[in-house]
Amino acid sequence: MKTTLFASILLVLSATAASAGAVLDRIESARKLVIATDAAYPPQSFLDKDGVMKGFDVDVGTEIAKRFGVSVEFVTPTWDLVIAGRWGDRWDVSIGSMTPTEQRSTVLDFPSIYYYVAHVLVVHKDNTTINRPEDASGKRIGIGQGESYERYLAGNLVLDAVGAQRITYRIMGAQVQAFEGNAMALDSLKLGDGVRIDAAMTSLPTALAARKAGAPIRVIEPPVYHEPLAVAIDKNDPEFGARLKEIVAAMRADGTLKTLSLKWFGADLTSPVQE
Amino acid sequence: MPKRFKMWPKLIVMPPVWEAWLPILCLVVVSVAAGISAMAFLDHGAWGGSTTANLIVGAGILLLWGNYAVLTCCDFSRSVLIIYLDLFILLVAFVFAFDLKYEVIFENLPALLGLTLRNGFLQGAALTLFVCVASIIAATLLALLAALGKLSRRPTLYAVATFYISFFRGTPLMLQVMLIFLGLPQLGIVLSAVPAGIIALSLCYGAYMAEILRAGIEAVPRGQTEGARSLGLSRPQILWLIVIPQATRLVIPPIGSQFIAMLKDSSLVSILGAWELMYIAKAYGRAEFRNMETLIAAAAIYWVLSAIMEFGQSRLEKTFSQGALMTR
Repeated sequence: MKTTLFASILLVLSATAASAGAVLDRIESARKLVIATDAAYPPQSFLDKDGVMKGFDVDVGTEIAKRFGVSVEFVTPTWDLVIAGRWGDRWDVSIGSMTPTEQRSTVLDFPSIYYYVAHVLVVHKDNTTINRPEDASGKRIGIGQGESYERYLAGNLVLDAVGAQRITYRIMGAQVQAFEGNAMALDSLKLGDGVRIDAAMTSLPTALAARKAGAPIRVIEPPVYHEPLAVAIDKNDPEFGARLKEIVAAMRADGTLKTLSLKWFGADLTSPVQE
Repeated sequence: MPKRFKMWPKLIVMPPVWEAWLPILCLVVVSVAAGISAMAFLDHGAWGGSTTANLIVGAGILLLWGNYAVLTCCDFSRSVLIIYLDLFILLVAFVFAFDLKYEVIFENLPALLGLTLRNGFLQGAALTLFVCVASIIAATLLALLAALGKLSRRPTLYAVATFYISFFRGTPLMLQVMLIFLGLPQLGIVLSAVPAGIIALSLCYGAYMAEILRAGIEAVPRGQTEGARSLGLSRPQILWLIVIPQATRLVIPPIGSQFIAMLKDSSLVSILGAWELMYIAKAYGRAEFRNMETLIAAAAIYWVLSAIMEFGQSRLEKTFSQGALMTR
């Protein structure tokens, strides 16, 4: 619903594309890289007790800024605003575990994939009927608005990335319940098996972190699908994109990405998974 | 007359039958509430054992009869106070029935209240208050202009005012927030989250308040204006010295409601990434997968803030009604 509302707003507003190299100039003159991410998406990005942002995405972003030779600032607009594109110079780059979908690539560019994630179905621990992803067909599944799960469950997720796996649709005819953010889908699941929803979709790291934090959930094996996650920038700035691509490639080559992945996920998620 | 009849105000004439049924009605309500909370306790296994549940229900019934006995010999204002307390206890019992981890609330309270700065800027309840106060000032000015425009005989002023009021009352505030945040940059004006939020809130509430102010101005008896004119006052003088002070008295209650509504609608600014109360509640709660705790704390803070505003409103009402008898 909200995505449609957004699309119509964007149609009404005439778009001005970012001029080439403008972002690089701005980063140089401001001596800082402004990164959009989420403050409520552990373990990728979240607030610690002192209100400092932590997590895999935050560490990756901080490292990228370091390699640009500038300081870093994180801003936290709602997900819908990030995926809408046309950021109006408010932030330079999104490092927020974004799936590079074909639909999103009409307004955003994805210069670099930085890790790969498995998406899983989670159910309340009391559930006995859902044991494989297929079992959730026709069930009420909770997700966050605008997440790529929405497209997966509708059967039209098209990834816009080199080497992305072909998507197999395992869950048919699900009754999708889109909440304000993924966390609310998990909260709804915590109420009990089938109270509000029968299952929720989330990324494997999030599911494991939630279970570790005491959420009464069971993670369904095998994962529903795998996808690459990308750094995203506003449309039409190849110079800036090329620099980011170079930096992320260097971080992969010298093992920095792997170290961060082990630190936050306890596993190396920096190379594609073979099913 | 028996003493207990004093507990009813003269305005509400309670038929005797009603009065007899009231304690039973209360009993039903409290029993149901106690039952629900007891069931919730059992469901979460936090207390466990049906004996505890029975004890809770039993204690509830006892408390209720004790309450009724006290109420029968209290005057109106004391009764009100006791009933406030009862309802508050019920609310707290309802919240206690959730499976909550209270240390999450206390740990995050300083950030929720905004006692600390984030990157040298306000956050939490302090930012919410800042956004509200700024919007209240701007919205009041806008509303006054729009109200005068709508009362104006000049076609331009009238048209601009009615168009503005119609658009901003007729579209969702959330959409206005997004239009200002995403739309203005297309024209080269890039506002950050807080100013964009303040502008959207001011424009939206200015439109609602314009109609309230117009109604207030029109409610001032025509004789007042005519009398002032016959004394030789100019039109601006009549407006500022005669009409607006009297209109103010009339519009304080509805305007007060608007301010309270604005306090809560300011949470919409969080979608732009401004770290106000609602945002902090969600972000800190989700970091520990403990959303409910911080949301309940935020609810309490919002409520206290609006209670303060209600108090301010009643004080203002008293101040402005001092001359009311003379102007009649």
